[in-house]
Amino acid sequence: MKARTVRIWSVVHTWTSLISTLFLLLLCLTGLPLIFHHEIDELLGYAPQPEAHASAARATPQVVADAALAADPGRVLQYVSWDKDEPGLVMAFTNGAPDGAPDNATVRAFDAVSAKLLGPVGVGPMLIVLKLHTDMFAGQAGKLFLGAMGLLFVVAIVSGVVLYWPFTRRLRFATIRDSAARRVRWLDWHNLIGVVTVAWALVVGLTGVVNTWAELMLNQWKATELASMVAPYAGKPPPVHLASLDNVVVRAMQAAPGMEVAFIAFPGTPFTSSHHFAAFMRGDTVLTSRLLKPVLLDGETGEVADARALPLYLQALLISQPLHFGDYGGMPLKVIWAALDGLTIVVIGSGLYLWVARRGKRAPAKADAFARRAPVPS
Amino acid sequence: MHGSSDRAHLWIRVFAAPMLLAAATIIGLLAALLWGTVGQYVAWVTVGAPVPVVSWVWVRRRTKKNVRFSRATRGN
Repeated sequence: MKARTVRIWSVVHTWTSLISTLFLLLLCLTGLPLIFHHEIDELLGYAPQPEAHASAARATPQVVADAALAADPGRVLQYVSWDKDEPGLVMAFTNGAPDGAPDNATVRAFDAVSAKLLGPVGVGPMLIVLKLHTDMFAGQAGKLFLGAMGLLFVVAIVSGVVLYWPFTRRLRFATIRDSAARRVRWLDWHNLIGVVTVAWALVVGLTGVVNTWAELMLNQWKATELASMVAPYAGKPPPVHLASLDNVVVRAMQAAPGMEVAFIAFPGTPFTSSHHFAAFMRGDTVLTSRLLKPVLLDGETGEVADARALPLYLQALLISQPLHFGDYGGMPLKVIWAALDGLTIVVIGSGLYLWVARRGKRAPAKADAFARRAPVPS
Repeated sequence: MHGSSDRAHLWIRVFAAPMLLAAATIIGLLAALLWGTVGQYVAWVTVGAPVPVVSWVWVRRRTKKNVRFSRATRGN
């Protein structure tokens, strides 16, 4: 590689890293507790626990919906969801209006058998950590900004891999030059940790970027696929009397055999039209449980209006989520995720140190050169 | 001819281990998603591989330091 090429890649690596450093540190530091958010919520008492029941007869969806509305008078239901990892719980989202802002929604957990209110979900200190991680309390603009920082991170990784060759070709793999200056030792650590975690960092970085585009993708789906699904019902007013949720669930399961309901969006919410329920169905394997299939049902009669697979870009979004969160391989994978996150913090921190140390070394050299060039006063 | 083979040899020496680790990571990430419980076990080993590599380098370095230190003190 020519010296000029190395210099160009070096400039790219330095500046893409420097611009994103602060935000990447924020993402890595907030991401660390988020890996264990279930466990932390449980420890701090913010995770509602289902009651112990001798019988297994579950409350019907409509009973849970009624309990949710009774728990939040004057508000409307947006979504009812069933978490496959928490079979004893049913989650209900209420808001001031069907299309109310997500930040104004209240999420409550209900016992799946007795439909008893168990408590709020998504509150406590982890909510603050989550908001910092996803949008820094700046809404959609914050999300897109962090996505841009993620893209810079990806460029920094790629340029780092290119620079790995000229910096390490004379060294054996995993060499740390102990006899050299501290800056060189840290350069060796930076190169080693960076290159062994490169695939994981790229996957987590890219999937994080994709996640920041979730709202844009959803809007695109609504404008295209959903619009064509509800086109035959154009001009129909919002339902006056909603169909029973029990009826909606039964019909949705008939329309998607072998699948179960992940969540139901009520008419008028961002995931459906003003006239339809949307039941999002999931499969029973690790992969298919992430790939949702929407079934659209008439808001008044509960009749199935349409059912289609999600487009590729939304499937990519759904697949990117476990690859970003690391929550699909049990506790050992979470611990590995945390360790790799810690190593990424070391790479970012050492990169910053190397830049500062190099500047410190350059400054006196520049001053010397200037002094040598400057005319000596007579 | 000889120069290009040397260069290829050098390239492999520099990138073989990182590429193996990267491939292992990707296989592990997908395995847990596609192969159920068996895939989870694969993921624990392959995605986690960089951690023991870094730990091994760190321990090796500490051990070398300690050996050097004890040699120096015995020499005194």
